[in-house]
Amino acid sequence: MISITREECQWLLGNLARGLVEYLGVVEPPVPVEEMLEHPPGNFDMDFGVVNMYSHLWDATFARTPSQRGSIFVRIDLNPEERRYSLAREALTAVVTSEHGRALGLPDLLLSSLREWGEYFARQLLAPDALVDAYRERGGDEDHLAGTFQMPGKVAALRWQDPSLALQ
Amino acid sequence: MSMQALNQLVARSIIDPGVVQAFNAGRIGDVLSDLDFTADLRGRLAQVRAGTWAEFAVLAYRIVRAEVQMPARIQLPSPVEGLLPKQERASKRHVA
Repeated sequence: MISITREECQWLLGNLARGLVEYLGVVEPPVPVEEMLEHPPGNFDMDFGVVNMYSHLWDATFARTPSQRGSIFVRIDLNPEERRYSLAREALTAVVTSEHGRALGLPDLLLSSLREWGEYFARQLLAPDALVDAYRERGGDEDHLAGTFQMPGKVAALRWQDPSLALQ
Repeated sequence: MSMQALNQLVARSIIDPGVVQAFNAGRIGDVLSDLDFTADLRGRLAQVRAGTWAEFAVLAYRIVRAEVQMPARIQLPSPVEGLLPKQERASKRHVA
């Protein structure tokens, strides 16, 4: 197994998120994360379920049944932005532990820091580079990023600081 | 363009099982040939050996990034040319 730098991991995750966004055909924010989970790409049919739960322990968590069907268990009382972020974050666990994710070799690179990488992946999924670049070009600022992309304010602040992946 | 092509390939790999199938079958060169890489870069990427698709993607990223960040080669004239008058240079070329 190769060692991977933070920058390389961010690049990989940014492009995986981009693949899902392109699958959805999204051309403007907000990215419909829950719709993707309800109607996933065929290779994630067994991995992208959503189950609403009453919980005070966590906002969302991913788990698999003995039959290997995966679902994100999400607190029912989250506000819409928090819900979108939590689902997007846990979607990475679904991807990495899926049959397709294992075929890609993602667990070797990502499993040890899945929580941290999930947060980065969620920012890229909710606000992919192409849409953020377009937003900046139209004069969009940091203050309105959260509202435009429908994500929590603290998450939007971090996303604004994330480096662009466009190295051409 | 090379980094865009690699980004496109990695993005595609999450929804298209054909990419990892081609990699596992040792046919990643076929996939690369459809993308906008230079012939030299395509050849180097096709020779990358990795245990998994994700590792291949990271190793490919290192190669493409190095290529993209490499400064453009500066084409300097021969120092001899600058020492000769223009007409003489032309006649020397003609003789050669």
